[in-house]
Amino acid sequence: MTIGTPLRSKLDTKSDDYLQNLGEMQAMWDEVESLMETVPTIGGQRYVDRHRKRGKMLVRERIEALIDPDTPFLELSALAAWGTQDPIGVGVVQGIGVIEGVECAITGTDMSVKGGAANPTTWKKSQRFHEIARVNRLPLINLNESAGADLPRQADLFIQGGASFKALTRLSKAGIPTITAAFGPNTAGGAYTPGMSDYTIFVKDAATAYLGGPPLVKMAIDEIVDEESLGGADMHSRTSGLSDYLAQDEMDALRIIRQIVRHLQWKKLGPGPTEPADAPLYDPMELLGCASADVRTPFDIREVYARLLDGSRFEEFKALIGEQLVCGWASIHGFPVGVLGNNGILFSEEAKKGAQFIQLCNKMSVPIVFLHNITGFMVGSKAEQGGIIRNGAKMINAVSNSEVPHFNLMVGASYGAGNYGMAGKAYDPRFIFTWPNHRIAVMGPKQLAGVMDIIARNSAAGRGVEVDEEALQAQTAALEAQIEGESTALYSTGRLWDDGIIHPGDSRTVLGIALSAAHSNVVQGATEYGVWRH
Amino acid sequence: MAVPTNSVVASGSGSLSTTITRLLIANRGEITARIARTAHRLGISTVGVYSEPDADALHVDAVDIAVALGGSTPAESYLRAEAIIEIALAHGCQAIHPGYGFLAENADVAEQVSAAGLIWVGPTAEQIRTLGDKVAAKKLAIESGVPTAPLFEVSSAADGSVDVPEGIPMPALVKAAAGGGGRGMRVVRTSDELAEAVTAGSREAQSSFGDGTVFVEPFIERARHVEVQIIGDSHGNVVHLGERECSIQRRNQKIVEESPSAGITPETRAAICDGAVALARSVGYEGAGTVEFLVDEAGRPESINFLEVNTRLQVEHPVTEAVTGVDLVELQLRVAAGEALPISQSDVQVDGHAIEVRVVAEDPAAGWLPSTGTITAFELGVDGDLVRIDTGFRADAEVSSDYDSMLAKVIAHGATRVEAAAKLRRALRGSEISGVTTNLAALVEILGESDYLAAHTPTAYLDEHPDVVASVGPTGDDRVGLLLAAVFATERASRAADRVTGFAPSGWRNLRTQGQRQVWSASGSETPDAVEYTVCGAAAEVLLGPWPEPLDDGTLPPDERRRRIVRLLSVTEGGGRTPSRIAIEIDGVRRVVEVHGDEDAVRTRSVAGALTWALAPRFVDHDAEAAGGGPICPLPGTVIAVHVAEGDEVEVGAVLMVVEAMKMEHKITAATDSTVTEIHFDVGSRVDQGDLLVSLEALADD
Repeated sequence: MTIGTPLRSKLDTKSDDYLQNLGEMQAMWDEVESLMETVPTIGGQRYVDRHRKRGKMLVRERIEALIDPDTPFLELSALAAWGTQDPIGVGVVQGIGVIEGVECAITGTDMSVKGGAANPTTWKKSQRFHEIARVNRLPLINLNESAGADLPRQADLFIQGGASFKALTRLSKAGIPTITAAFGPNTAGGAYTPGMSDYTIFVKDAATAYLGGPPLVKMAIDEIVDEESLGGADMHSRTSGLSDYLAQDEMDALRIIRQIVRHLQWKKLGPGPTEPADAPLYDPMELLGCASADVRTPFDIREVYARLLDGSRFEEFKALIGEQLVCGWASIHGFPVGVLGNNGILFSEEAKKGAQFIQLCNKMSVPIVFLHNITGFMVGSKAEQGGIIRNGAKMINAVSNSEVPHFNLMVGASYGAGNYGMAGKAYDPRFIFTWPNHRIAVMGPKQLAGVMDIIARNSAAGRGVEVDEEALQAQTAALEAQIEGESTALYSTGRLWDDGIIHPGDSRTVLGIALSAAHSNVVQGATEYGVWRH
Repeated sequence: MAVPTNSVVASGSGSLSTTITRLLIANRGEITARIARTAHRLGISTVGVYSEPDADALHVDAVDIAVALGGSTPAESYLRAEAIIEIALAHGCQAIHPGYGFLAENADVAEQVSAAGLIWVGPTAEQIRTLGDKVAAKKLAIESGVPTAPLFEVSSAADGSVDVPEGIPMPALVKAAAGGGGRGMRVVRTSDELAEAVTAGSREAQSSFGDGTVFVEPFIERARHVEVQIIGDSHGNVVHLGERECSIQRRNQKIVEESPSAGITPETRAAICDGAVALARSVGYEGAGTVEFLVDEAGRPESINFLEVNTRLQVEHPVTEAVTGVDLVELQLRVAAGEALPISQSDVQVDGHAIEVRVVAEDPAAGWLPSTGTITAFELGVDGDLVRIDTGFRADAEVSSDYDSMLAKVIAHGATRVEAAAKLRRALRGSEISGVTTNLAALVEILGESDYLAAHTPTAYLDEHPDVVASVGPTGDDRVGLLLAAVFATERASRAADRVTGFAPSGWRNLRTQGQRQVWSASGSETPDAVEYTVCGAAAEVLLGPWPEPLDDGTLPPDERRRRIVRLLSVTEGGGRTPSRIAIEIDGVRRVVEVHGDEDAVRTRSVAGALTWALAPRFVDHDAEAAGGGPICPLPGTVIAVHVAEGDEVEVGAVLMVVEAMKMEHKITAATDSTVTEIHFDVGSRVDQGDLLVSLEALADD
């Protein structure tokens, strides 16, 4: 027996509308992809070459050599810091990869980006990654080398920077192994990355760790000492004991990591996939053209389901009521899931239906996938009188207290409290992945600018002054443009509101990897919620 | 193609069907199986014998019952004539067929067999003795009018000095009267070297055969080896079955044989065939035998030199069977039973051309060094009946140094020589033997080589064609097809083994910087194959050759690798012994490859040939090296520098040696502080993956 029955797609993938939309989506993806292509050498070719000249592997080469052959690697937040003063990706690679058959949270610093020095976004990105390792119970692998903090920016990172060392030891406390291989310098605070890890590996003649380098030591205590005696791999392996394993070279360090992971005898705690994992009846690559490039154009979320779910099968729950929220059961790569997806606005019935569905998923300990395509909760007197706040609260209560893993797939807009009801970023989903057409904000830019326009007019009227029509229109247009710019998928990913923009056609693979990672931990639903406002 | 089965009606006094109902085959391997096949066809039951290691060999399955001889060396087993005679008697056999080697051509054994009241399938003891003495045989040949160069006898005095006759034409060959296989043989270019050569040859003959008698005859440069198959009965009939040419030899041992010879004139053919019959008649020869000659490369009659007579069934008899349609073993059994030969000379017609190759467990590239071990795959021939295969081996069989290195004979018959060569080549290309090194690849090369096809095949052929010998199997796109089949069969297996993310597309990345990089080495090949592939949907993009490595300044050189698009069109999974069958398309060309993988090796086989591949380990385990006494070679390559000497004390990480492989220099370093106890390779040595390069003894930790 399988869950659900196959959905029938009504999408005509030969129609002009589809092809037009596909073209626009492709252009959006191309922009994302071309940005991603810059990331591996974002530190500058000169620094990449310098790194290689030292006989070192690039961080992504290390990861390629570390993980099991032919297994996938899901890089997370590759475009972090897009649109900020920091380099895209912030000189750190993070992702989920398989080592000796164990899904691990693998992170490494890119020495070719500002010498691996951490900036404020680096800390934010690592913090998120430590959280991913913790909630999903993934062994953490650090491929470390860093010049330390980006000193001129210390004010923005010194205080919160300490949290990453706390995170390491708390992972360890939670029984999640932390393994750090040091490939280069680990200076000052950076020295606590190996210092706080369960296992450390130092690469001979390359790795160093000290709180203060030779110049500082000279300044502080007038001791003249060379780097190797102060904090070399050999010293730490034979004398200080900071290094547990002395690696002969970089490849040897990677080998030792694999050896350590192997001896962990790691067992996943989730039940794992239980359903047939057959491909959808419709090509997942068509997902690129499924969702509207312009989030204002409605589309049927079931078209996404038909290309995302195993065998396109879906058992719809409450199909005849609250139709703008399409809930039901299905499986992705054999992992049973509850699916909630929007066909627009959340009304009271949608909110009540969603709250019930989320409780049912928790009763069965089934993870939930939220497909955001939501313009918000309904407004207006009819909605208010119908109890939209009270009913919306039910959904927010449900997602806030739900304990099964949540996964967000941003397939369209995610505006206003709709984002909250759909378990958005603030509700700690295990993973959030974004399609390039995604828009996220408190409301649509036009609406927001329009609201501000009305407020300005009301304010002027209250003060009895004449509205400077031209200035107000310019102000409104500028605001709309600003909000438009701040609502994009790139803006969102740059701010780490998600875990990465993905090609829609990869959604099944990405969700599969995310679900499998979540099943490394216990998958257990909630039994208690906040007081329900009936 | 099979052994001829057109049984001929018996005539004469004896009758096989009543005389021999049970035959003991005193041999092993392919010849036992081959003799049994004819015996069974004639309704004769068979008894085999076996040594301890042969207890489950193919030849034991080929006979009706088999009796244990014990032991493993020939002396402990197949040479135990008395035990074999007892077994024959105990099991009600009427006859013993010695096959070739072991007891064959042993006059004493022939006598013992007869004395025990059994039939010896072969010539009489007296005939064996007369013809087995090379000097006596040659004298007899000259008397019988066999065309041959003169023989110069050498007598050695009691004091060890030799008396060398005058007037011997140069160049000349000094040969031992006893034995064979080239031992005791010396080529002499000028008269003044002769005495020394005779002394040395005599010494060697004495130590090898216990008989220091040598003789001298004219040496033919670039000779061809031709031989005439004869068979005689006890009624005085002798016929010849045409000649064979067996010029292609390694270490004076035949490797490719054919019938008829394509390198002799009709006059020569008539002279040697008639001569062989005359010689046989002169002794009243009974049974099958071979009269061997050398002729010059042009095959002229005036160059004919009689060599010797082999009083047994020859290894290469199937080529004669192929062209004449006669079952030689049947004829042997009939004449042994006393029947008259069922054929007369005029019945013997030579149809087309047949070629036999001997597949041996030897490494041609390493001077035909015998290779021993357990056979892991044994698949000979393609397309069903294309060739005849005579073998005593199968997968799981052990190839030991106790016995001959020949694994199989493969015989093709065609309307012409070139057709036979093409058929045989096709069959060999599609063959696969692994677990031991074989000459399959060299045989494939020979059969396609232009001098061979033009019948320019003197006995020096292999020396003059070193490329043929160095062949390691398929080349070009054929090789790529096998390599990529190995690569993607392994990739499939690795995806199937991924228990956590097996659902994901192979090697999936959302930010890709490189493909899957691997280094493979084919058995016998010096150059490893670097492969980088990226799977995209149903196809994969493959880059072959070393990937760009950083230059001294850290930049990467341009990537000049050719891109190929590969699809696996269908895969039929194998299991156990059965290989997987993979239809692989490379740049629009489809090939079918059988792939059988285990931990250490992936065997591939297609109609284009077979290769066994090993995937280089990604990591070098320095700990294991420290425990194992020294660094292990990571990749096949060449030693280009040795930085230490025996006795040196080295620190951990010290560079001991530099190995060049894949156009890259790999530094071989010490895993611990140690003393160098032995350096196993010099600069310029070829080293294989897994070789211990330098032996180290760890220094005690202080």
